[in-house]
Amino acid sequence: MSSTVDPRAKLFLVICLSTLGIVFENIWTLLIVLIAELIYAVMLQANVLTAIKKLRKMLYLIIGIVILQSLFIRTGRVLIGFNHIKIITDVGLIKGAGYLLRVMIIFLSGTIIATSDMRELIQGLIQLKLPYDLAFMASVGIKFLPLLMEQLKDTLIAIQLRGIDLNSLKLKQKLEIYAYIFTPVIVNTLTKAKQISISIEARGFRAFNQRTSIKVLKFKALDYALALSSAIVAGVIIIFNWHLLQI
Amino acid sequence: MNNYIRIHQVSYSINGQAVLNNIDLSLARNQFVALVGPNGSGKTTLSKLIMGIIAPSRGYILVDSTDVKDLGLANIGSKIGYLFQNPNRQIFAATVMEELTFAYRFKKHQQPQLQQQVNEMLAVFELEHLSQAKTYFLSHGEKQRVALAAILLNDPEYLILDEPTTGLDQKRKKELSSLLQKIRSKNIGMLMISHDHQFVLEQADRIIELDRGGVVNEQHS
Repeated sequence: MSSTVDPRAKLFLVICLSTLGIVFENIWTLLIVLIAELIYAVMLQANVLTAIKKLRKMLYLIIGIVILQSLFIRTGRVLIGFNHIKIITDVGLIKGAGYLLRVMIIFLSGTIIATSDMRELIQGLIQLKLPYDLAFMASVGIKFLPLLMEQLKDTLIAIQLRGIDLNSLKLKQKLEIYAYIFTPVIVNTLTKAKQISISIEARGFRAFNQRTSIKVLKFKALDYALALSSAIVAGVIIIFNWHLLQI
Repeated sequence: MNNYIRIHQVSYSINGQAVLNNIDLSLARNQFVALVGPNGSGKTTLSKLIMGIIAPSRGYILVDSTDVKDLGLANIGSKIGYLFQNPNRQIFAATVMEELTFAYRFKKHQQPQLQQQVNEMLAVFELEHLSQAKTYFLSHGEKQRVALAAILLNDPEYLILDEPTTGLDQKRKKELSSLLQKIRSKNIGMLMISHDHQFVLEQADRIIELDRGGVVNEQHS
């Protein structure tokens, strides 16, 4: 199903739900938005399990931010304290949990968008009147991201193959090594960008003001249904939580 | 010093797709071995397995009688010098001089005559005039020479060269050829992956041909 759905319908869905995730602060509202997004993600065959596994790698960072967030909230009943110093309060903890839910909503939005073919997504953006140059830049960036990651990995391997044991290095030396890893990647990226710009200019990029596309996206009944259901779900959540909005 | 590298019934597959099948080879330090075969036959994969960059799905590889999986990348790199197909991947420092001395800044054991050795390498690889040049602006051939010089400064016992003649003209190939002869005279064994049939015939005393992940032919000269 996911490959047949127009990426513009998916963009509309993601904009609706992510906006709700940002606008509302109430933890129950955020939970409802997350559940709605999860249902849509499963329906669109998004790789939810892989996304959760990726999120698990950042678990310590997220928990750290949640705790940090709750440390700065002074209101509410003290759950953990030292003498008269409030460390964690119930309000702080709820705010932290709210932050966690928002991260998950945005992460799920990413997995829904990722179900679209990148070429179709860019075509969708162009048909939404985004300037072609910007859409093309985005598509080139997306294509080169895995290559950059591969280069970073190769450079790290090559450094170790020079007989340098990274585990035995002091922190200062490790930071120095990381500078050595990023420098060639940045230089190569700039060189590659220059080569690509020459190459695309040579192939007539921006030669004419009007461009045509081989594949033109068309909104079908399924796309209208998805966009309409997104608007209805967003509308219902807004109506039931209108009193929580601080306008 | 025979059988410096022992590849014992090694297989490797990615996502269930076999890349190498039951490879059984021994490589000695007194040999110049060439690994040839069409694209996708598994040549670079085999070299990465020897270097411990990837792990075999089945079988094991011994380097100097120790299983590669028990040696870290740093230990393997100290024993075997590996020249990547693309030298850009193994040049990190801003200048040629910094590149050559780079590894010693992070090693516990310092080389007492490092500067002298670096000067020798610069002379051997005809890089003296480029010692302060920015590595990013070197030509492909120059980068390859810098990468090879940096590897040799590590004092390896064996060398694996992945397509060292790519992008070199006839003159540079001849220079590389005489350089490899000099390296051989220091009892450093070599495994060279190459598509350059003529270069392989001139240099190698053993040619191993891979196809579809298996050894299909072996010649000794």
